[in-house]
Amino acid sequence: MKLTESQIQDLYAFTRQHFVEHYDLQTELVDHLANDIEMMWKSEPKLSFEEAKNKAFKKFGIFGFMDAIEQKQKAMNKRYRSYLWYEIKKWFEMPQIVATIALYVFFYITFSSKFTAIFSLIFYIIISGWCIYKSTQLNRQFRKRKEISNKKWMLEELIFKQAGAASLIFMSQLYNVFTIPDKFEINTLFLLLFSLAFTVLTLINYISLEVIPNKAEKLLNETYPEFSL
Amino acid sequence: MSNSKLYKGSLTTIILKLLNEHDKMYGYEITQKVKELTKGELKITEGALYPALHKLEAEGLLDVEVAKVDNRLRKYYKLTETGTKETVNKLEELADYIKTMQALVNPKLA
Repeated sequence: MKLTESQIQDLYAFTRQHFVEHYDLQTELVDHLANDIEMMWKSEPKLSFEEAKNKAFKKFGIFGFMDAIEQKQKAMNKRYRSYLWYEIKKWFEMPQIVATIALYVFFYITFSSKFTAIFSLIFYIIISGWCIYKSTQLNRQFRKRKEISNKKWMLEELIFKQAGAASLIFMSQLYNVFTIPDKFEINTLFLLLFSLAFTVLTLINYISLEVIPNKAEKLLNETYPEFSL
Repeated sequence: MSNSKLYKGSLTTIILKLLNEHDKMYGYEITQKVKELTKGELKITEGALYPALHKLEAEGLLDVEVAKVDNRLRKYYKLTETGTKETVNKLEELADYIKTMQALVNPKLA
């Protein structure tokens, strides 16, 4: 006996009740539960759908789907980081490296003036302001996407929401950035490293909030063969 | 994962070995295959299988394919090129382990 379409939908709802928020993992677990239920029906055809479903779920152990969720999240974070790393590396190859060097030289020259503290604060505010603006925009986009498709994908959430979280960490360092020039003696080595830190921060924020979200469809299709099904 | 903790460390090797012999497999199929091959002696639990599969996928050892079967979507796993190479290493590791244990437990046979 095979499961009906409405029973499959019931299984999707069941995984959601058990804290599986993302469609990618839900789909895999639904197929597993469905296979198990169909197998049980072969030997016990009188078993009700509800009973069979609960029996199948019990096999996941006392933590239910929790381990699967946790491991999937870890795996997806790893995938996201590898996309980020791939894009960062590109900025150190031709032709983007020209822009990277120009940015670095720009930071170095401005920080070399006697207004290091003021410049660092101004750049910091510009970068953070842009990050907040982009994060809000991406969050809105994510909500809209979810409304249209009624599905939430793990990688999609990372692309549209994780980037925002990273910039919040960046924001929380405001005080430290402002006091750095007071704490350290401003010499060439300090300026070289300070400019490097700003260059890297600008690049990471630009890539995670602009480059990767623009490539979202391509990355999602690459990660999930079922994305366009 | 199973009736014995001793099997736990070999879960990834078991998965890789099965995928090496079959072109592609889905989660439930893996649990059933192991049960069949070991005549019910070893049961891979669902709570251990999916975390292991997702970890292998993240490490780039497995690739996924999705197909519509009956009225639902099915996710198949298959070995990547790195995965095939890693299977050889893992199997060698396991053989060494068995040999070492043999020497300890049953010196006459080793």
